[in-house]
Amino acid sequence: MPSLLPQRLAVALAVAIAPTSTAVAHCSVGARFFPATLNVDDPCVADELSLPTISRFRNGDDPSATELDLSVDYSKRITDTVGISVGSTWVRLRPPGGPTVSGFDNLTSGVGWQFLTDASHEFVMKAGLDVDWGHTGSAAIGAAPFTTLTPTLFFGKGFGDLPDSAGWLRAFAITGQVGYSVPTDASTVTFDPGSGGFVTTANPRSIVYGGSLQYSMPYLRSNVVDLQLPDFFNHLIPVVEWNLETQVSNLDGGERTTGTINPGVIWVGNYYQVGLEAIIPVNRASGDGVGVMAQLHLYLDDIFPNTIGKPLFASSAPASGRPSFGN
Amino acid sequence: MRTLTLLGLMPFLLVGSAPARAHAYLDRASPLVGSTVASSPGQVTLYFTQDLEPRFSKAEVRNAVGARVDHGVSVSGSVMRVGVRTLPPGTYHVSWRVLSVDTHTTEGAFSFTVGR
Repeated sequence: MPSLLPQRLAVALAVAIAPTSTAVAHCSVGARFFPATLNVDDPCVADELSLPTISRFRNGDDPSATELDLSVDYSKRITDTVGISVGSTWVRLRPPGGPTVSGFDNLTSGVGWQFLTDASHEFVMKAGLDVDWGHTGSAAIGAAPFTTLTPTLFFGKGFGDLPDSAGWLRAFAITGQVGYSVPTDASTVTFDPGSGGFVTTANPRSIVYGGSLQYSMPYLRSNVVDLQLPDFFNHLIPVVEWNLETQVSNLDGGERTTGTINPGVIWVGNYYQVGLEAIIPVNRASGDGVGVMAQLHLYLDDIFPNTIGKPLFASSAPASGRPSFGN
Repeated sequence: MRTLTLLGLMPFLLVGSAPARAHAYLDRASPLVGSTVASSPGQVTLYFTQDLEPRFSKAEVRNAVGARVDHGVSVSGSVMRVGVRTLPPGTYHVSWRVLSVDTHTTEGAFSFTVGR
């Protein structure tokens, strides 16, 4: 008897991708919705799942290797303003003329506190600590054999509080992050089979900084002007991200600043979003040529609002209390 | 390979099997967001993407000097109707804040103009 699984999967897929009404979800601050950006973190704590994030690019090695990354990231709110996250990435490297190697990179985790949410000014801030756990990844793909701690400050600001005369500019928003990356080991000693000796490499401390510039078509339609565009366009958020790292001490002798710029677009639905961005290295040490990344991101608080999609210790419902306008 | 395929489809299965609930966002309005209408509308109608909890969903309409010109709000499913007085020419500001049936609160605001 033939399996019914393919038909069931097809039905489930059809339901999932069927057209939905114009809606956004999730990191909402006042009338502003900040989507989950692909390369830098968004400024909210959340119940969400990125599965998968796929990246393909030529990395900064010399000679450059073709790198494929498959990532999963899960975020969970503990309270309405405190959340944790965990992530893992599988990496495949294809150096020119060399053997292909693959394996998992180090596990990552994070804890964040969304300590400021100003709805009227569409402004939000979060403080967090990200940890890259040494010795949890594969040495074959170059996973660091040491742990790195990165305390980071995040913010998001929508421009909907500009006067009405600003018109379409009110649909813009920016997000940003700045952190200080501290390896727990000052240096790493490795065996060099070429020389038969040991090589000591410094593990630098770095400032990591990034952000995004976004233009929200959902915001434009709901809060500025309804242009009566085809529904697909009302779900789009064109975005440019940038994510950079500059060594500030214990330098390793290489390029001090590395990073990428990522122009692309995010399509936002009721329960999930889909993002597609280019990966443009800022210099040769950051990569060789233009790569691409794509992500499917699930809003667990909308998919499972009464179970895994709500904070472990939620404030009493309704979340924001009875609506009030003052008078 | 089959395992990888199932893993890749899992997000869609999760979404496809989810109940039809999410944040309630403004889908459209009458008068249209940011539009100019020739004469005073009898009411402002807000169409949301999800059903609302009437007790926790509000809206108001103010004129250019900030005075309220609305009188009464009714909610039916995902539609909110805000009664307004006869509006003289001018710009009016609509603010809303609603609770969807899955307890997510959302808010927004927009303007429309009655033609001069």
